[in-house]
Amino acid sequence: MKVLDRRRMILVNGVLLALLALSVVGCALLGPVRLDLSQALQDVFSANPDAEILFRARLPRILLGVAIGGGMAACGVVLQALLGNPLACPQMLGVSGGASLGGILGLILFPHWLLPIAGGLLGEISWVPLAAFLGALLSMMLVYRFSLFHGRLHPYHLLLSGVIFNSFIAAVIMFLNSIVDFYQAQGLLFWLMGSLSTRAYLTVAFIWAYIIVGFLWLWAKGLSLNLITLGEEAAMQLGVETVALQRQIFVASSLMIGAMVSVSGMIGFVGLMIPHVVRLIVGSDHRLLLPASFLAGGIFLCWADTLARILLAPAELPVGIITAFFGGPFFLFLLYREGSRKLAL
Amino acid sequence: MSCLRKFIAVRLLIASLSVLAALASVAQAASAPYPQRVVSLAPSVTETLFALGFGNRVVGVTTYCDYPADARKLPKIGGFINPSLEAIAAQRPDLVIGVNDSNHPVKAREMERLGLKVALLTVSNVNDILNSIKSVAGLIGSPEAGEKLVHKITRQFDEVTKRVAPAPRRRTLLAVGLRPLVAVGGRNFLDELITLAGGENISGNAAQPWLNLPDEYVVARAPQVIIEAGMGSDRGRVARNWNDLKSIPAVKERRIYGYPSDKILRPGPRIGEGLEEIARLVHPECFAESKRESNKGSGCEGSRP
Repeated sequence: MKVLDRRRMILVNGVLLALLALSVVGCALLGPVRLDLSQALQDVFSANPDAEILFRARLPRILLGVAIGGGMAACGVVLQALLGNPLACPQMLGVSGGASLGGILGLILFPHWLLPIAGGLLGEISWVPLAAFLGALLSMMLVYRFSLFHGRLHPYHLLLSGVIFNSFIAAVIMFLNSIVDFYQAQGLLFWLMGSLSTRAYLTVAFIWAYIIVGFLWLWAKGLSLNLITLGEEAAMQLGVETVALQRQIFVASSLMIGAMVSVSGMIGFVGLMIPHVVRLIVGSDHRLLLPASFLAGGIFLCWADTLARILLAPAELPVGIITAFFGGPFFLFLLYREGSRKLAL
Repeated sequence: MSCLRKFIAVRLLIASLSVLAALASVAQAASAPYPQRVVSLAPSVTETLFALGFGNRVVGVTTYCDYPADARKLPKIGGFINPSLEAIAAQRPDLVIGVNDSNHPVKAREMERLGLKVALLTVSNVNDILNSIKSVAGLIGSPEAGEKLVHKITRQFDEVTKRVAPAPRRRTLLAVGLRPLVAVGGRNFLDELITLAGGENISGNAAQPWLNLPDEYVVARAPQVIIEAGMGSDRGRVARNWNDLKSIPAVKERRIYGYPSDKILRPGPRIGEGLEEIARLVHPECFAESKRESNKGSGCEGSRP
C-alpha cells in the first residue's frame, strides 16, 4: 500500500478537481444542439434561447450529474468496505429498491402533483422525488431492522436482506408496470432507467446538500474504514467501535442513496466500478480513496450524460446504458492489466 | 447501409405477410362462413370492429379496450402486451386479430399452434391504418363496410387539410409525458397527423417512433405549439412545466395544451376525429365557427406569417 502523505493527497485530489472543473465546462458547451456562447452570456435573464439552453437545460443537469456520480462512487467505496464484498454497490442496499417503488407509486397515483416551494414563491417541483425519498427512508428502516441481531448490524445479513428486498421490490414494480395504462408504463420504464434531466436548481441544491453532508460524514470515518477492511475482529481489537461505525455508515449511505435515486432513478455501474478503478490507481487508503472516488465519479457521470444527450440526437439515451457500455470494458481492461502486473512481479 | 437494407427486408416481409393474409382471407371467404367469434388484441382493433358494425361478433378484448362503452363489458383476455393464451382459447374464437407491434407476432405463432386463426395488422402509418380497416372488414366478410368507413375517415382528413391549408405551418411538439419528456418521432402515424394538421413535428427527424427528448433540443427547435397528450394531463400543469423557458414561442404565445385523448393516440377508426383535435390545437383560428364564412378562401384569420 502506498504511503499517504499530504503532498500525495493534494496532488491527486487537485488533479481530479481540475479535471472535474474542465469536464463541467466542456460538457456545458457540448450537446445535441449548437450553443452560441457569446449570445448565451448576453441578456441572461431575457427570453434568450442560448442562455436557456446553457443555464436552464444543461447546467442544472451537469451539476446534478456531478453530485450523483460523486455520491454513488463514495457510497460504493464505503459499502464495499463495510460489507467486505467487492461486488457491493449502492443498488444492492434495499434503499434503492424502496426509493424506486416510492417514486413509481408517486408516478402512478399522483403523477401531476406539484409541490409549491416556500408557498409557491420559489416555484414548484414534481412531488415524485419526495415520494421516492419516503420510500427510501421506509425501506432503510425495514432493511435495518432485518439486519439487526442482538443490537448489532450484521454486514452479511445487510447484504442478503438488501438483495432479497430489492428483488421483491422489483417484482412489485413489474406487477405495477403490467397493470397501468400502456403510455403510463412507458413513462415508468423511462423513469426506472434513470435520467439526470432536470431544470430545477432547487432539486440540485437539495441533492448537493445531502451528498456533501453524507460525504463529509463518511470521509471523517476514513481511518476506521481502513481498519474495518482488515476484518471486523481485527478492527475491534485496534480500537474501532465497529457496531457504531457500521450503523453510521449504513444510515449515512442510505440517506445519500435515497436522495440520489429519488431524483435520478437507478443509474447503475458508477457506484460499483469507480471505486475499483480509483482503488487500482490511488491505492486503498480510504482517506484518499473516498474524495478521489467522489471526484472521479463526478467526472465520469458528467461525460456519460453528455454522451447520452449526443449519441442518438435528438433522442436522449438512458444514461445507465452509457455508464455500463463504456465503464464495463474499461473496468475489465484495468482488472486484466492489474492482474498481469501482479503475476509479473 | 445494412440498417437500411434490414429495414427494407422487414418491410418486404411485412408486405408479403399481409398479401398472404389477404390471400388467406379470400380463400376462407370462398370455403367457410365468416368469423362469428372474434378476439381483439388491441384497443384500436376493438374500435375498428365496433366502427364497422360488428361489435356483436367480438367475444374478447384487452383490459385497455375502453371504447366504445359496450367494449368494456366484454370478457378480458389480458393486456395489450401480455394477452393470455388460455383466456383467448377459452372464448373459442374463430378469428384473433392483433397488430404487428408489441409481441403479437410471437404470440400469434403460439396461438396458431393451438389451432387458432390469427390475423396481424400493420398500423405504423396512416396508410397502414386505413388499409388495416379494410382488411378487418374483409376478414369479417363485409368489404363494403370497410370502404365506407375508410371513405368517412378520408373525408374527415380532407375537411381538416382544407381548413388548415391557408395557414402557415407551425412547429409542434406532441408529447405523451413530461418527466421524462417522451415525444412523437419520425416513424409514427402521429407524425403524419401533425403534418396533415398544418404542423411540423419538431422531432420528426428522429428514427424512433417515440423518443425521450432533452430540454435543450426543445429550446433550440422553438416549437410554436406544445401538446401533451398523456393520460390525465391538464393545461395548467403542462404550462407550468414550460414556464421557465420563455424563449419558446409556444410559451410566449400560450399555445400549450394538456390534452388527454385516446382519439389521437390510437391507430384506429377515430384518427379522422383525432386529426381534427390536433388541427384545432395547432390552428385554432382555422376553426373559429363565427368567422367560418369570412375565412373561406382568404386564409385563416389570426394566423401569423
